[in-house]
Amino acid sequence: MMPFDTGRPEMNVEEFRLLRDFVYAYCGILVRDDMKYVMQRRLWPRLEALGLTDFGSYYRYLRFDAQRRPELETAIEALTTHETYFFREPRQLKAFSDEVLPVLERRNARTRRLRVWSAGCSSGEEAYTLAMLLKESGRFEGWDVEVHGSDISRRVLAVARQGEYGPSALRATSADQLSRYFVQLGPNRVRVRDDIRALVSFGHHNLQEPEQGSCSSRMDAVFCRNVLIYFDTPARQRVLRLIYEKLTPGGYLMLGHSENLINLSADFELVHLRGDLVYRRPELGGWSP
Amino acid sequence: MSEEGRNAEELRYRALLALDVFRTDARERLVEGLHDESWRVRRAAAGGFARVPGRAASVERLISVLGERDETGARNAAAEALVSLGSASVGPLVRLLGHVDPDQRKFAADILGQLARPEAEDALVSVLLEDGDLNVRVAAAEALGRMAGRSGARALERTLNDVEPLLRLSALESLAALRQPPPLSDVLPLLNNPLLKRSAYRVLGLIPRLEATELVCRGLGAESRSTREAALVALGQQAALTAPSLRSAMDVAVSQVLQRLPEASGWVASALESEDLELRAGALVVAAVLRSPKLAPLVAEVAQEERLVPEVMRTLACFGPETGRELLASMGRLSFPAREAAGQVLVEMVDASFVPELVQMLDWGELDVKSVAVRALGRTGSRDAVAPLAQLLSDPEMAALAARALVSLATSHRDLVLQVLESALEGGAEPAVLNALVRVGGTAKLPLVRRIASQASVSLRATAVEVVAAVDPVGGLELARSALVDESSSVRAAAVRVIGQLGDASMAELLARALADSALEVQLSALEAVGECGALERAGDLESLVRHPDGAIAFRAVRSLARLGLLRDEVLARAVSHEDHEVVKAALQAGADRGGGEALALELLGHARWDVRAAAARVLADSGGTSSLPTMLAALSLETDTLARRALVDAVERLSGR
Ligand SMILES: C[S@@+](CC[C@H](N)C(=O)[O-])C[C@H]1O[C@@H](n2cnc3c(N)ncnc32)[C@H](O)[C@@H]1O
Repeated sequence: MMPFDTGRPEMNVEEFRLLRDFVYAYCGILVRDDMKYVMQRRLWPRLEALGLTDFGSYYRYLRFDAQRRPELETAIEALTTHETYFFREPRQLKAFSDEVLPVLERRNARTRRLRVWSAGCSSGEEAYTLAMLLKESGRFEGWDVEVHGSDISRRVLAVARQGEYGPSALRATSADQLSRYFVQLGPNRVRVRDDIRALVSFGHHNLQEPEQGSCSSRMDAVFCRNVLIYFDTPARQRVLRLIYEKLTPGGYLMLGHSENLINLSADFELVHLRGDLVYRRPELGGWSP
Repeated sequence: MSEEGRNAEELRYRALLALDVFRTDARERLVEGLHDESWRVRRAAAGGFARVPGRAASVERLISVLGERDETGARNAAAEALVSLGSASVGPLVRLLGHVDPDQRKFAADILGQLARPEAEDALVSVLLEDGDLNVRVAAAEALGRMAGRSGARALERTLNDVEPLLRLSALESLAALRQPPPLSDVLPLLNNPLLKRSAYRVLGLIPRLEATELVCRGLGAESRSTREAALVALGQQAALTAPSLRSAMDVAVSQVLQRLPEASGWVASALESEDLELRAGALVVAAVLRSPKLAPLVAEVAQEERLVPEVMRTLACFGPETGRELLASMGRLSFPAREAAGQVLVEMVDASFVPELVQMLDWGELDVKSVAVRALGRTGSRDAVAPLAQLLSDPEMAALAARALVSLATSHRDLVLQVLESALEGGAEPAVLNALVRVGGTAKLPLVRRIASQASVSLRATAVEVVAAVDPVGGLELARSALVDESSSVRAAAVRVIGQLGDASMAELLARALADSALEVQLSALEAVGECGALERAGDLESLVRHPDGAIAFRAVRSLARLGLLRDEVLARAVSHEDHEVVKAALQAGADRGGGEALALELLGHARWDVRAAAARVLADSGGTSSLPTMLAALSLETDTLARRALVDAVERLSGR
């Protein structure tokens, strides 16, 4: 018995498979077989909002209704977790600041240009955090610096652009960081300072549809943390291929702390920093793909 | 590595990826790559063998690399390559199991384990039972743990009494991996063996019987942390396998041990935070019995692992009324998935005293937190909740939820709610507010709704048309007719929907225009409406749309024709060959409903899509005719998809009266 879920329609295995395949085809998100319950629970509010009584009808709605496109996006919203917060995974961030940024500063000294991409940025905390680190490093004054955040979910992007956050987004932010990078709006609400916001841009991008990408320039570093977890192996490989192509040779890739490229890609080399492990697109001497 | 070294490595890597596999020396180039100093290059080389023609020759060559004693990197890469060659590797590796060098036999067993091909099972069983080298036997035991075969499992069970503890351990682990627990009596003696007990608990967890639970519970009282954790893991496994109706008996057994373990709360808390998913699952079972609201935030955090969400919800539901407050106080620190779970519980547990904290939560910013607060406010029954909710009625993201919450509050504060809904509408609120107003105010509010329908924004106009129809059919139909010429397609679509629901065949003329509307939204509603109101005159229009490449249009055309009872055979045939499988299924169902759809269903048993085949099997089962049985049995023998297979098996059983 599911104590809080009584009286709502069950999703049968066939409906589950149809919905799952459909979602997978659209954005590569893999809903594992043992997650039927999760899918059901997350889509219940959609059935309720649309006045539908079973998941078969919902599936047909997604396929055939005039509102199918926006509803599909809403369904994806519901199925993906947007867990994120400022200064998440501090160890990696420290390694980035202390060890990667000096390298990038040297490499790009001539162009004085730096591009960092937060792929699957959710509501923007990661992209802003990176902008804060770039600022704090003091290395790129007067440079052309941009942090680009992208996500498949338009709802989280709207939040990201607004740049206003509450307590849970700040649960790993120190009082010092709070006073340096945020403006207090109310007892429970802050806004990212304008000088940080000026470094960050956001765009919509389904990582499974490469040609749709919202950023055109080559990236010096890509953070793609806690995004690959949604995908199965071929879909992960597609994303990694895309990131590889977006990175400049010698550019860095940072994954979430529980993620790695074992059995996924040998395109990247593993770099042992003092503080953490990161990946890098190898340099290539005079050889162009 | 120096910059130069890296460049050279990258070049060797690229060269292997780009290697022309039809060159005569391709295989040797790859073998050379297997010996490269860089693991990336070795991996690229290993991956290359699957592309080279002549797998048998590749397998032989790779097996010879396995014999190069001092080349660890190359041997491992060769093993990887052998795995990638699939069934071609099995025979030669089985032969390698008979090599004089135990080192090679062990390699063969390891690789066969990774290949997990049933053809190798018997050979591995012989090695497990008869090989003279312990390491080789252990490798065979581990390999059998990946085969999922019966004979392998039986052999592993026999090994459980071997004198070699290492062998017993791998046999036990393999049985756990196969999820094929040995008899309880075989497990019992292993529970006290320090080396084996962890694995013994693992297999115990796979036996969802009360006797096994009682044994596991003994482990909870153990001094050593590792035993306790093993028992927790087992408990989690048992809970997942136990039917919900038997869970309470399990809980009783757990609660009896817990009475003797006052310190349990502490270790349950740390198990809830562990990295190990299985351990967390077990900790939830114990937490549910402990019922300590203080544990609620930790329990909620376990929801980060989506597979454990049902168990998290169950556990929180077991906790007492204080849980709501505990969760509310910790909301700011919880992760998103935990907030999601906590929110659900909170909404169930609120009362009027929660209002101030919930109102504070409204200005947190995070949409999910706000949604929880709104839903919870709606359930407080408190008059103080009305005003904060009213403020959200003009917020496009929150309006619908807030309106719904206000409808709940209206049961005790009707007049106040009506007042805030009306003034929100005056200020141009969202459609959901209009809906709520009519739900709470009933027909008395119709004049207001009509006024809105004639002058407000597009979305309000569209909603008004449908809302009026729901309370006043005659007036609604009239309003819909005039809305058919609205400049906005959503208003026209709403009008068409109303006409479908309330109109009759006399509306055919109006629907002709709607079918030809330039907006897809209106067309789709019109297709549906034609069938709903029986506009037979439009059948011709529908027939031509069955061919439409957009599945949405073709699907509705088929369904409406079926509803009108006018689906001709040739049109049905057209629908069946549509590219979209949902159109095909709609046609199949329509054919069956009309009677005599068996021929079509039999044909579709061979369709490329699993869901069409499954639907065809169900149609045949419903038809009750046994003449299709031979064809179905033939289809069953070829069916590889599990769901289609299940539908076929059900159908065959039903038809043959089993
Ligand atoms: C858990 S969040 C990670 C946020 C941030 N990177 C962090 O680690 O804090 C994952 C994000 O990936 C996004 N996502 C999932 N599938 C995607 C896809 N196919 N394309 C782009 N973004 C996707 C989700 O919408 C979600 O916002």
